[in-house]
Amino acid sequence: MKMVTGGAFEGKTSYAMRVFGLRDADIVDGSSCSRYDLFHTKAVKHAEQLVKRCLREGDDVLELADQLIRLNPGIIVIVNEIGCGVIPVDPADRNYRELTGRFCTKLASYADEVHRVTYGQGIVIKKAEGE
Amino acid sequence: MVHLITGGAGCGKSEYAEQQILSLGEDRNRIYIATMIPGGDPENLERIRRHRERRSSMGFQTIECPKDLGQVELPENSAVLLEDIPNLLANALFMPNGSGIHAGSMILSGFRRLVSEARDVIAVTDDVFCDGCEYQDSTKLYMQLLGLISQDIVCEADHVTEVVYGIPVVLK
Repeated sequence: MKMVTGGAFEGKTSYAMRVFGLRDADIVDGSSCSRYDLFHTKAVKHAEQLVKRCLREGDDVLELADQLIRLNPGIIVIVNEIGCGVIPVDPADRNYRELTGRFCTKLASYADEVHRVTYGQGIVIKKAEGE
Repeated sequence: MVHLITGGAGCGKSEYAEQQILSLGEDRNRIYIATMIPGGDPENLERIRRHRERRSSMGFQTIECPKDLGQVELPENSAVLLEDIPNLLANALFMPNGSGIHAGSMILSGFRRLVSEARDVIAVTDDVFCDGCEYQDSTKLYMQLLGLISQDIVCEADHVTEVVYGIPVVLK
């Protein structure tokens, strides 16, 4: 598994396409893709929206992370870093932020590479040894 | 040794900070300075419960200090985990009988006293600055003070680490 994270509109998707040689058709969108697509795609963008949909449907977010690791271990996960900023007043927003953090922490501990993108410029913050 | 740890929500800052204290070795008195005032808020109580459960086997002595670090009495040879500075500032700035506008300087002088008395201080803070939203004046003051406190602590710190989804990124 590989992860590409960073703030919104930082150029994460085009960075991922460039670095990992992806085409548009290789990438599904977390705000609309089915579970089947998610477990069969090369890459997903807006993975934070997967968390939002899980919460809306009352599903277990960390269970989804486990499933993704089990069923699509080679996936490239592109995800907005949403945990920075003033703590939101709305409890549901706080929960979404907190659980997105834990969802991504779980994926990042499994991933062999994690990239962080600022204005289209990536820094590798994790690379498993032997790669 | 002073180590400041920052990062976003749910990213594993606390776990990383705890591991740093453990890695200092067995010979220190492990002190946890807890800053949260739970009130009756179930969300806070749940967070406190989760953190306590994780720390229970690590040999920490917990000191409750919601506002003034100047009041904390430390044993000799302490390794202190201070969690966290944004909470301390919110309490000092917004709670009744807090220190209001003087909250920033009070926290910094309390922090310096802590550093002079402890052998090691590991402090957790938050990155609250990157959402680009406009906030009302009291929140802006809070952000400004937290920024100033953090800059001062970074100057004095031996190590500064940002934790990104569990991955430590060295800033200093």
